[in-house]
Amino acid sequence: MIPALHLDGVGVAYGTTSALENIDGTVAPGEAVALIGPNGAGKSTLIKAILGLVPLSSGRVTVLGRAPAAARRDVAYVPQADTLDPEFPISVGQVVLMGRYRRIGWLRRPGAADRQAAGQALEQVGLADRARHRFGTLSGGQRQRVLLARAIAAEPHLLLLDEPFNGVDAVSEQALLDAIATLKKEGAAVVIATHDLALAHLACEEVCLLNRRQYGFGPTQATLTPERLRATYGGHALELRGDRVIVAHS
Amino acid sequence: MYFIEPFTFPFMARALAELAVLGALAGTVGVLILLRRLTFMTDALTHTVFPGVVIGYLLTGEGGIFWGALIAGALTAVLLTLLTRDRAVTEDTALAVLLTTFFAIGVVLVSHESGYTTDLTAFLFGRILTVTGQQLTQTLVVTVLVVAALAVLRRPLMARMFDPRGAQAAGYRIGLLDLVTNAIVAVVVVASVRAVGTVLVIALLIVPAAAARTVSDRLTVIVPVAAVLGALAGWAGLTISYDASVHHGLRLASGGTVVLVLIGLYLGALAATTAGRRLRAARRTA
Repeated sequence: MIPALHLDGVGVAYGTTSALENIDGTVAPGEAVALIGPNGAGKSTLIKAILGLVPLSSGRVTVLGRAPAAARRDVAYVPQADTLDPEFPISVGQVVLMGRYRRIGWLRRPGAADRQAAGQALEQVGLADRARHRFGTLSGGQRQRVLLARAIAAEPHLLLLDEPFNGVDAVSEQALLDAIATLKKEGAAVVIATHDLALAHLACEEVCLLNRRQYGFGPTQATLTPERLRATYGGHALELRGDRVIVAHS
Repeated sequence: MYFIEPFTFPFMARALAELAVLGALAGTVGVLILLRRLTFMTDALTHTVFPGVVIGYLLTGEGGIFWGALIAGALTAVLLTLLTRDRAVTEDTALAVLLTTFFAIGVVLVSHESGYTTDLTAFLFGRILTVTGQQLTQTLVVTVLVVAALAVLRRPLMARMFDPRGAQAAGYRIGLLDLVTNAIVAVVVVASVRAVGTVLVIALLIVPAAAARTVSDRLTVIVPVAAVLGALAGWAGLTISYDASVHHGLRLASGGTVVLVLIGLYLGALAATTAGRRLRAARRTA
């Protein structure tokens, strides 16, 4: 079986400063991996490398057996909702339909299949009744769900999420987790950049501990040890209730 | 009769057509400028085309203005891309430097020539009443090309405006899209400069789109409303200035009148939406 994502000694440098060094790992279809590390650890850079948007200084990224740029059609990216302009005049339905743009092309009108895929995706995140609302009128968590719906509408084999649980309410969090679980069941691989360890436990089989270099890559339970977390964050880690680990941000 | 009479003169009819077409074009492109937050870049462009306008005029007369401005506009777009590429200079700084440098070159060139003040006024505020049939054709061609480009690129542009990182991830070439956007803005600025002058172009581009934005949250409404408001202001402004000069002995500059009508429309739209919102809120509480 072709892995959804394979990282082989991946390094990225901005000018002479190295942002990432020697990242290795494999994600199989239907699996989810959490990228865990402090701010500035290189999580977003790794996501960019997987999307083929930054040149590598070493190593190789393989997405669905192809070079990243050649696999974009099958990869969907979900940005943080609060990085988008809430005043932008666009409806929820239009945002989700954007996930179909690459399939629709430049001139053709969206067909029945596109509308259906968009409608189903919005249903999957529990916001089918909001299609006609303006995107910016929704809550932060709902906006994040709309962006996930946009990604689902693209029918991706690899889904990349950048801090999807930041500032998200409990209802939206559950809806996001459910939708991610459904995607995995359908065979999509998922990469989630996050510093929420509890959610890494809930959503991901594997974690990749990251701070410029790799401090561990493997099954969530076995990899998220207090020692490794302390090494990754370079600060204090607390152990609570056996396996829940919370890191105090310095 | 009031709104028709002036246009029985061929020169007024041409001016009306030019302003109406420009208004519609500027209104449409204005929506793009507003959503991409390119207002300052557009304002800079209106100033950087100034030396092009002057040089074009000095070399070949009225006909050279369009091409001179076009070259200066293209030069601005290229320089801006180069200056900001390595992030050594922030975009607003680069814009401010380019804007003042180009504008100063224009002023120096104009002051060098005799008939300084009349020419300067014409360059700064436009000469709508001397628009020729050929110029009108140029404007029409530009309008058709720009609208066609926007129609073809609407989805990539939309994706890029709403979510640049997502668009990049989806494989859209952001750099190329931005270059096309800058080029479209530059071409529209150039096409408008001759008619309304470098100073007032920015109003023609920004105000109709801003007014339309207050009216609706839907782009399918905003774009046509902005185009209609732009055309309407062109027509009404010219008519009012004509009427004031001919029937009331009051000389009103046509370009300035057009802009004031635009501002009036904007304030009207703002008042209407505010009143509408209050009314709906009152109904809900009642």
